Amino acid sequence: MTHLLEIQGVCKHYGGVAALSQCDLQVHEGQINGLIGPNGSGKTTLFNVITGYERIQQGAVHYRGSEITNAPPDRVFNLGIGRTFQLTRLFMRLTVLENLLVATQRDEGWLRTVLRRAGSASEKRRAMDLLEFVGIARLAHEPAGNLSYGQRKLLELASLLVADPAVLLLDEPAGGVNPTLIGHLADRIVELNRAGKTIVVVEHNMEFVMSLCSRVTVLSQGTALVSGTPAEVRSNPAVLDAYLGGEDDASTQLELAAEAARPHGQVTPGPGPAPPAAPAPPATPARPATRARPATRTPPTPMAPEPVDGPTPLLRVRGVTAGYGGGDILKDVSLDVPRGSITCVVGPNGAGKSTLLATISGLLRPRVGTIEFDGAPISALAPKQILGRGLAQIPQAHSLFGEMTVRENVEMGAFTVDDDALVAQRLRAVEELYPIVRERAGEKAGSLSGGQQRLVEFARCLMLDPELIMLDEPSMGLDPQTRAMVFDMVQEMNQRGKTILLVEQNARAGLRLSSHGVVLENGSVRLTGSGREVLEHPEIGALYLGGAVTRPPARAAGD
Amino acid sequence: MSFTELLQAIVDGILTGGVYALMAAGLTLIFGVMDLINIAQGAMVILGAYLSYVLSVHLGIGLLPGLIITIPVMFALGVAVEFCFMRRLRDRDRTQMSILVTYAVAIVIEGVLTAIFGVDFRQLQASYVNSSVHMLGFYLPDIYLIGFGLAVILLAVLYYGLYRTKFGRAVRASLQNRTAADLIGIDVNRVRTISVGIGVAVTAVGGMVFGATNSFNPNTGYDLISRLLAIVILGGMGSIGGAMAAAVFLLVINDVVAVAWSPTWAPLVYFAALVLVLSIRPQGLFGKSAARAQ
Amino acid sequence: MRDRVAAVVGVAVVVALIVIFPLIVTDPAATSIGVFTLVFMVSASAWNIFSGYSGYLALGHAVFFGSGGYAVALAARDWHVTGGWAVFGLLPFGGLVAGLIAIPVGLVALRTRRHTFVVVTIAIFFIFQLAATNLGFTGGTSGILLPIAPFSAANFNQPFYYVAFGILIATVLVSIGVRRSRFGLQLLAIRDDEDRALGLGVKTRRLKLSAFVISAVPIGMVGGLYFYFVGQIFPQFAFDPLFDLSIALMAFLGGLGTITGPLLGAAVLESLQQYLTQTFSSSATYLIAYGVLFLAVILVLPRGVIPGIAELLERRRARSASGPGPAAERESQVAGVAGAAR
Repeated sequence: MTHLLEIQGVCKHYGGVAALSQCDLQVHEGQINGLIGPNGSGKTTLFNVITGYERIQQGAVHYRGSEITNAPPDRVFNLGIGRTFQLTRLFMRLTVLENLLVATQRDEGWLRTVLRRAGSASEKRRAMDLLEFVGIARLAHEPAGNLSYGQRKLLELASLLVADPAVLLLDEPAGGVNPTLIGHLADRIVELNRAGKTIVVVEHNMEFVMSLCSRVTVLSQGTALVSGTPAEVRSNPAVLDAYLGGEDDASTQLELAAEAARPHGQVTPGPGPAPPAAPAPPATPARPATRARPATRTPPTPMAPEPVDGPTPLLRVRGVTAGYGGGDILKDVSLDVPRGSITCVVGPNGAGKSTLLATISGLLRPRVGTIEFDGAPISALAPKQILGRGLAQIPQAHSLFGEMTVRENVEMGAFTVDDDALVAQRLRAVEELYPIVRERAGEKAGSLSGGQQRLVEFARCLMLDPELIMLDEPSMGLDPQTRAMVFDMVQEMNQRGKTILLVEQNARAGLRLSSHGVVLENGSVRLTGSGREVLEHPEIGALYLGGAVTRPPARAAGD
Repeated sequence: MSFTELLQAIVDGILTGGVYALMAAGLTLIFGVMDLINIAQGAMVILGAYLSYVLSVHLGIGLLPGLIITIPVMFALGVAVEFCFMRRLRDRDRTQMSILVTYAVAIVIEGVLTAIFGVDFRQLQASYVNSSVHMLGFYLPDIYLIGFGLAVILLAVLYYGLYRTKFGRAVRASLQNRTAADLIGIDVNRVRTISVGIGVAVTAVGGMVFGATNSFNPNTGYDLISRLLAIVILGGMGSIGGAMAAAVFLLVINDVVAVAWSPTWAPLVYFAALVLVLSIRPQGLFGKSAARAQ
Repeated sequence: MRDRVAAVVGVAVVVALIVIFPLIVTDPAATSIGVFTLVFMVSASAWNIFSGYSGYLALGHAVFFGSGGYAVALAARDWHVTGGWAVFGLLPFGGLVAGLIAIPVGLVALRTRRHTFVVVTIAIFFIFQLAATNLGFTGGTSGILLPIAPFSAANFNQPFYYVAFGILIATVLVSIGVRRSRFGLQLLAIRDDEDRALGLGVKTRRLKLSAFVISAVPIGMVGGLYFYFVGQIFPQFAFDPLFDLSIALMAFLGGLGTITGPLLGAAVLESLQQYLTQTFSSSATYLIAYGVLFLAVILVLPRGVIPGIAELLERRRARSASGPGPAAERESQVAGVAGAAR
């Protein structure tokens, strides 16, 4: 089998940290290759090296036999290798169509570039075809900045295709995308592969990877651990050791994915698709009317205990409407966080989950409505005062002060506390809970891996000994094993008496953990109940938990 | 040019470099904390010089004691500029917009100074302005020594403040991650305002020393800011240490060329040196290499 | 369709007004304001071709203005060109010199990015100013005199006016051409995300340099015209930091990156500026007024007048086609798409 793209012995260092070390990868032509691995294993770095965004001193990259090591990005692109980015990169101020027209049809003379119009008729037609293919043709004249997250991913994919590359490197194409769109995306990838393109996908979503790819490589700590078919990889003990661990979310996902990929009798875990709402009435978003499908077969996991319903909920949000000047993101939101509970807020992108946390923390003042903590109103207070009441938030990923040491970061948690002795005492307590604080005390926080940073963030938060801890997507960007660890820590904090308000994109894992659940959609509360109720509600299942990716029959794409 | 002349030029360069370093430190601090470039820094130095002038000529207050008044005044100015203008800049093109905004502020300052004082050149006078210490065969003008001394002290204070005090940590935290800083209870807006205030307050000192060693008029701000920008860019934006090194480097070159070749060519070489270094190393002497944005 | 007809009619009216203006208003003070305004309209528009489209703020274009001026002055002196229409023939030479100078300047400056770039252009500007002061052939601080144009006192301004207008038309056509071409689109892409553009095969270095040089030529030509009009050129005057700031402000006021924006901005600001200088002889008040105006513009209309108006219209149009927030519609669209695809 021809190795279309061959990476040998690549090494890449950032200061003292080795992102890639003697990394080898063979990409087989005409296949969909998967690249998985724990956080920090070097997947994105590898993409950067291949596409010329990072230079290497050691190792070689070959494409179709000739060496392209350290070639600049435009040359790599012109050779036929295109890539997407983890965080979508688009030309925000250009329209969707213009975004596609930017990519040159290979090498073009300077004079042609200057004299030719921005898009000839044939080029525009081709661009529209591609937009149809990914399904966003109707948005052709919208500025790219107006698109939703999922639509941007599709646009990014389409802009690559303009130059008809032979190889596509997709970096977390499903990351952060609404589960309904993931299926659509997968379909497109399969079609592209059928048309002859070689694809390499980096993903954390196991179902996605295992069901799509015919070949999977596992990276761990900068080297390629194992490479083989999904079945081989899944059953390889070294992989399970390094990457997964026992009874947890990850192995569950793998098993599910394995089932889905089995050639005989497609088991379709999870609910089916939403039929389109015929002429979508502008007032309401398409409401899927599904029959309840057989629920996901999950191994029994200890559910969080039913909460003790105290007289007053610890946090009470009533009729809150809030936004950032442009418009209201939260519309008449009301919810309760019972004392001692783990309450999980789920919902699609743009639902307003982070805005909700920001409002509770005092970063944003609600236009209408009240927020009460422990019976007292807090909506008019400054963030500092809210912290003083016992309400703390751990924001989304990468919220450490990268240039400061781990110790300094943790100490900063108690910034508002003036009593030095108390701070020292808390620091010791926190070190007991999270030994990493002591072990890596003098290192720069930015050099830690994703999971380790999360631990330091928890430690920092606990310096205030808050009563209510709010977490914004704690599992984002983490591999399954670390994710499980994070959820364990959350449970532990809860068992120690802290009330938790959790916002999660990974709805299944989040709700399974929680005693209470809230579904937020388009800035309003759609559903509340105990964690289990919300988890098993048929409507929710359809929209928010998503299903495994199935191999679809070929069909015409777009509308 | 004799060897002693060369050495003298180098010494002069180092001493003046210290003062320029102080003024540049204020500029780089503002950039580091707010990602904004204060083009008005030069005009503010001149404003500081005029303040010292007014205090010494019209109120009989000496140059050094006068700093007690001018430093808080300039601090207040910095706070006002941050509050009224810098805060309003939207996040997208902040840095570039700040260049235009502060350029406008500089013009207003220049206009006000011209209206009040006219275009005549002035210079600050004090008993020690023209005397110098004769040491090891070199002439070390007192005023330069004082200026250098002040610069070193203030820079040390700045450094200490940033790395050892709680406020300093708040500054560094707000720089590195604004959201997290907000959520820890740091009043990021206040931190930024005070940092800008400090960055401008140093121009009071710079202005006093500059005014004593050069004749100035409202127009002098242009030349000054371009030199300061050169220093800051060369040293790496946001790096106080880099600003110090770059200041000394450029000023030494300037003074050596002035002596070795001609004083009129010295400024040109100054800028040419900047352009040369940047074309080889676009990130400056101490800036991190701009890896392709992933 | 109606929009296009309206636009064409609008342009025709404006052109007609500009052409008729000096014939109706014969007051030389007014027509000289006209000349200066046209000069700045060209400069702002040309600057916009580079800075507006690529997003790189160049604050050193006075280099080209002055170089063009010096080129014309020196050529007139050394080639013994007498005053009159012949000097206008030297303007393309001024433009050429400016363009040639732009090549090495661009090569050096464009190695840097973002704010470093801005500072490098400022530094290069000062180098030129200092060089002009110190080098012999430029006449040092006293500069060079340009030949006196033998136009009648009553109609002295008119030839300058119409030649400037001619250059303006050419510049605007170039601006439109660039904007519509693939070149322009790629420049805009560079403005939004340069590294990604590079990753999509866009030859960024070549494009930036080209835009830089293209923007220099009209400024060089119009610089020659300006100093010919004024009659003399010397370093402080030829390389004036206020020039750079003015064209930037004009482009911002009107709308950076648009075609009509810089024209509008220049028309308004330059006429205002000239009026102010003629009424208030004190340069101090003029500076203060200018600075304050600048601040007001930047802070109140951060994207400029034209885009500001466009946004307002956009919002009004969206509000009248009332529906839910765009987000809701989008989600349903996508869900609909996904549904259909299944």
